[in-house]
Amino acid sequence: MSQYKIIFTGPVGAGKTTAINSISDVPPIKTDASASDMTKSKKQATTVAMDYGVINLTNGEKIHLYGTPGQERFDFMWDILVNGGIGLILLLDNTRADPFQDLKFFLNSFDKFITESSVAIGVTQMDVSATPSIEDYHVQLKVLGINPPVFSVDARVKDDVSVLLQSLLYSLDPGLEEMK
Amino acid sequence: MVNPNTPLKVALHAMDSRSVKTMIMYLQGPCKNTAMVVDETSAEVDIFDADTFNAKKLLNDYLAKPRLRPVIILSLQDLDLKDVILVKKPVKAQQMIDALAQARNSLIQMQSPSMAAGGKIATESTEESPGSKASPLKKYAINLDERKKTAKHQAAMQLSEGAFNAYIGNIPGVDVNDPKQFSKAGYRPKDYFQGFIHTAINTSREIRQVMEVCVGWRQLILFPRSNEVWLDADDKQLRAFAGLKFEDYQNSTPAVVPINPDLAELSQTPERFHSFDAFVWKLACWTSKGRYPDTIDIDQPVYLKHWPNFTRLLITPHAMRIAALLVREPRTMKDAADVLDIKPQYVFAFISAASALGLVGQAKRESDRLVQPSELKSSPQKSLLGRIISKLRGSHV
Repeated sequence: MSQYKIIFTGPVGAGKTTAINSISDVPPIKTDASASDMTKSKKQATTVAMDYGVINLTNGEKIHLYGTPGQERFDFMWDILVNGGIGLILLLDNTRADPFQDLKFFLNSFDKFITESSVAIGVTQMDVSATPSIEDYHVQLKVLGINPPVFSVDARVKDDVSVLLQSLLYSLDPGLEEMK
Repeated sequence: MVNPNTPLKVALHAMDSRSVKTMIMYLQGPCKNTAMVVDETSAEVDIFDADTFNAKKLLNDYLAKPRLRPVIILSLQDLDLKDVILVKKPVKAQQMIDALAQARNSLIQMQSPSMAAGGKIATESTEESPGSKASPLKKYAINLDERKKTAKHQAAMQLSEGAFNAYIGNIPGVDVNDPKQFSKAGYRPKDYFQGFIHTAINTSREIRQVMEVCVGWRQLILFPRSNEVWLDADDKQLRAFAGLKFEDYQNSTPAVVPINPDLAELSQTPERFHSFDAFVWKLACWTSKGRYPDTIDIDQPVYLKHWPNFTRLLITPHAMRIAALLVREPRTMKDAADVLDIKPQYVFAFISAASALGLVGQAKRESDRLVQPSELKSSPQKSLLGRIISKLRGSHV
């Protein structure tokens, strides 16, 4: 049976582990460890290999959800992870000093994969920091020449993550049928 | 008026959450509680950090608008700006205390009758209401109240086709899905509450003033700085009101007036705060009832400037499919319905809501009309993607 996967990426603390946890049908496998570098200022534990979750489809197929490690020193894994992926979910933390820099960094890092598939962007922590606004992100993206979905997301809320994933799939094909 | 015995209320700008927390502690401790951090709407003084990301743009935008209260700017540079209080970094406590004292004096001057003449809005925005004594610092400091605004932060509701008519409504006597009746399927937003709210929000944003909308219905207050609406009614009541034409109920002239609301009282009902966008979006859905706004030419292609923030909006049937289609290239509303094989009412309702947020553009050149939109190519993984969608939708509804 084919292996299908959706990749979650973004900087440290953006909510990748939490988002996978919210949407996965099985308890996610985490590879967190105590943070020992600059990450420590953001959170106690960070993902050092990758997160993994699964969406089970009715015919027995599985969609594998992989979260990239947030720390850039693990970025050698990213190419391996995205190979054969359906699309990319990029989560950005709005309380970071320069979320636009994160945006550009990750879009650039996954440029080839995004061109071949699609990307949907979730901005987390907007209830803590309302700026930059979603509109501000669209202005930045316009300069970069892409127009993907950008939503305010609470990674703990399943519906938020579900809507973000749906937008990724509709971006790939607006003709997909909804449940009737 | 400014009370010299209470801490000055300050709003912080261009600072991330960590800087805000540091600033709160700094004002409490080294600055001897001479100021406290509050929400923008109730502040007496603005403080900008001019050295952070995006600060230049925020500051320029701020300074370009009419000044409602004193502003303190913290900067590493010697900035040449008029009518601001500059505090050079590294900031020392006494410098900050002096700057706050200067701001307090400026505020008193701004509130004096001679200054207030011809500037009623500015005066009203900074006056303390009789019952609003300075709140304890912690109440404002981390702004925990924000998370209680459940309507503002709640996840999107995804409507199925079956729920559309019950939740959105329809117009008796008109079949909006019949192409022969498309000419009757338009509506004029200005004839409804939707149109008036649109104008009121623009006015409120332009002059950056808290405003009350008076249309002889429930109390409705606009907070332009936080992009929020406070409405003394629930969704069911708003839905019913949205469908009424102004001429059907309006006895007096509708108005938008400056107001200095009692925030402590409003905070007792945090669930009544909505974001501007979510409020305008659902109001447009309920006014539309499956019709399209007459500002859109039904024979001309439309396009979407960018995706709406769907996680915080009412998701009408097929809205995400329509968005994905129209963000790619312009199509007429009828063509979009045909390509997606859905009823035109779903496209009309979506376009009404997206148009109310300014997200819809229309190609109006004759050549745009002549160029056929490209054929929609199916993904090679269409079947798989459809099964994932079904799973996601199934787990939602």
